[in-house]
Amino acid sequence: MKAIKFAMAGALLAVSALASAEEAVLKVSAIPDEAPTELQRKFAPLGAYLEKELGMKVQFVPVTDYAAVVTALTSDKIDMAWLGGFTFVQASQRGKVVPLVQREEDSKFTSKYIANTEAGINSLKDLKGKSFAFGSASSTSGHLMPRYFLQKQGIKPETFFKNVAYSGAHDATVAWVASGKVEGGVLNASVWDKLVEAGKVDLTKVKLLGTTPAYYDYNWTVRGNLDAKLQQKITKAFLKLDPKNPEQQAILELQRASKFIPTKAANYKGIESAAKAAGLLK
Amino acid sequence: MLSHPRDPALLPRLLWGALLLALLVPTLPLTGFNPLQLFDAATLKTLAGFVAGFLPPASNAVFLGEVMRASVTTLAAATAGLALAMLVGLPLAFATTRALDRHALTAAAPSRLAEAGKSLLRGVMVLLRGAPEIVWALLFVRAVGLGSLPAVLALGLAYGGMLGKVYAEILESQPRALARALCAAGAGRPQVLGYGLLPQALPELVSYSVYRWECAIRASAVMGFVGAGGIGQLLDTSIKMMNGGEVSTLLLVFLLIVVGTEGVSRLSRRLLESRQGGAVLAGSAVLAALASVAWLLPAWREAGFDGASLLRFASEFLPPDASPALLADIGRGALETLAMAFLGTALAFAGAALLALPASGRFGQPAKALARLLLNLLRGIPDLLWASLAVLAVGLGPAAGVLALALHTSGVLGRLFAETLENAPPAPEQALRVLGAGRLTAFCYGLLPEVWAQWLAYALYRGENNIRAAAVLGIVGAGGLGQQLYLALSLFQLPTAASLILAMLLLSWLLEQLSRLLRQQLEAATGHAA
Repeated sequence: MKAIKFAMAGALLAVSALASAEEAVLKVSAIPDEAPTELQRKFAPLGAYLEKELGMKVQFVPVTDYAAVVTALTSDKIDMAWLGGFTFVQASQRGKVVPLVQREEDSKFTSKYIANTEAGINSLKDLKGKSFAFGSASSTSGHLMPRYFLQKQGIKPETFFKNVAYSGAHDATVAWVASGKVEGGVLNASVWDKLVEAGKVDLTKVKLLGTTPAYYDYNWTVRGNLDAKLQQKITKAFLKLDPKNPEQQAILELQRASKFIPTKAANYKGIESAAKAAGLLK
Repeated sequence: MLSHPRDPALLPRLLWGALLLALLVPTLPLTGFNPLQLFDAATLKTLAGFVAGFLPPASNAVFLGEVMRASVTTLAAATAGLALAMLVGLPLAFATTRALDRHALTAAAPSRLAEAGKSLLRGVMVLLRGAPEIVWALLFVRAVGLGSLPAVLALGLAYGGMLGKVYAEILESQPRALARALCAAGAGRPQVLGYGLLPQALPELVSYSVYRWECAIRASAVMGFVGAGGIGQLLDTSIKMMNGGEVSTLLLVFLLIVVGTEGVSRLSRRLLESRQGGAVLAGSAVLAALASVAWLLPAWREAGFDGASLLRFASEFLPPDASPALLADIGRGALETLAMAFLGTALAFAGAALLALPASGRFGQPAKALARLLLNLLRGIPDLLWASLAVLAVGLGPAAGVLALALHTSGVLGRLFAETLENAPPAPEQALRVLGAGRLTAFCYGLLPEVWAQWLAYALYRGENNIRAAAVLGIVGAGGLGQQLYLALSLFQLPTAASLILAMLLLSWLLEQLSRLLRQQLEAATGHAA
């Protein structure tokens, strides 16, 4: 009986601890297209900059699943998210969301096809009958657009490849191809360039096969019912980032952006029709 | 028939064996499982690279801190989930158990309305436990977002359905004299339960709940793979990023948790033997449940819970997609699932038989200890976890599912087989040995017939479980219906997901009917009550 009383006291304590007041916080998340630690590292200086510019606390909410970011944004659990083209289309179908800005690079984004060097693959055609990895099923550059472009070349992944797998993230795709777990794969060109520059890809094990045509990708999107003034402030803060300012250049570099530009929903019509054509959107 | 009939039953035995093999052959192309591929140079190299990366286990402070927090979350989610399951299961059991029915205890006529209500509740329980808990978790992750709340809700519903059924059955299995007397004296349902049944049934009810708690911990760890927080979520990331050091640390921690919970459950069974012990157990269970909720609440509050969006989400599943293309896909997925389960169970049967011999102590103590350790390891790691590791060995697809089921089920069956070997009467085998038969002959004709029927019954039961398991292994990339479901839910194709879940339920139901039929046949044929 003593134990039960003790437990009741504990429960009361827990409930009272929860009743503490809340302060204004901007909750930000991103689709997990890279390892969670990498996402946090990339966001930290941007978050600090936004806190200063907006005059409010900015909190990064790590999320390990693409679809969960879409759900969180459309159910108002987060205020702003870095979305891919496809996840943006999904979000705008499921609720009211407003795209604010994108990187200049996002208006002509591409994906890279890669293969394991020991698999004897020199072109896309050689991938026939081999195992192949996309990134996340919800990824634009790691799944939707490559699938769409493959389809335009008459390649249906499910029958053309021996096995189709979803690695979940772009850096995971590279790790899979390098280890031989799959023989070929496709990923975001920007992540590929970054990994190559940082020496994180063993080029004796992974080779580049080709690049897709360009398309619109990533943007920063807020939930539709976020205060309009705050939306403007956020847009202004992003557009103000100046490559000549060393501190801000560091932020841009981590985001792999030369600068940010305004964006609008209409930019992603192409993604939407590609998704419908590829059967990913019904 | 044969010129020298040493074994009068040889022909039927060979025929049955040939039939089984003939059934197994088509599963190979269906699952793409190629045992030789396991020993293929390229596979071995990939695997060796990954396993070499296991050492040394990751031990930096930041990571270990994260693992600690995740482990507590896993334990807390399992405990809170089981508490919820009991809250769901107890009233369901109370309402539906036949042990409390007035018309079963006295000569009174049953009330039609009450019986219809009970049938409805039983149907609800079938639905709750029909979908595996990982599917519930995946659904709740999509509906309420990532985190431990989906794990708790999933355990609460799936295990609630299970507890409701088993609690009711435990009550039904008690001697009824007291309940009859109380009922005849005019006592109502609660009184009959409280004074007539509960006192005798309590130890069994508690002991089953403790067993479920152990299962809940393994399930809660695995739910992280679909984003429901805890240690599984870390493991999923580490496996995806092929970070061997982190994987080995997480596996070690996971095994420690499993061993720890087994210890706790043994202790709690001992506590049950005395009145004070029972009180201590009840107190600490309540305390543990409250502490778990207190640990998880901050994150839940942060995430927020929105009932309206849950309803909206549920309504999007309707109507299920019934397009011919999808039905064909589902058919293919179901066939792949069945083939995975069948081949996996058959391999496990062979593996378990081989391991059960040393594990029953037939080759001395050291071999016995070693075999038991191996069996515990195989059994202790859940099939979903094996599957995510197996995709490294044989690549993605159903072959990984076959390997995962074979490994996990070998552990489960091996232990059961070893027990039957130990419990079988030794006289026939000894008699054959004394008469001059060789060791193998004596085993095959002296001991094997004693245990064979039971082995088959166990294998059949596990095979049934494995079909359910195979249906969800795809969630970590091992083919079958699960993979299709995971994709559909990721892409917000909810009507497609609805059809897939219906297909899973249908498969599971068909299976239950088939296995009941087979078991009856087996019982009739062997005269054994399996």
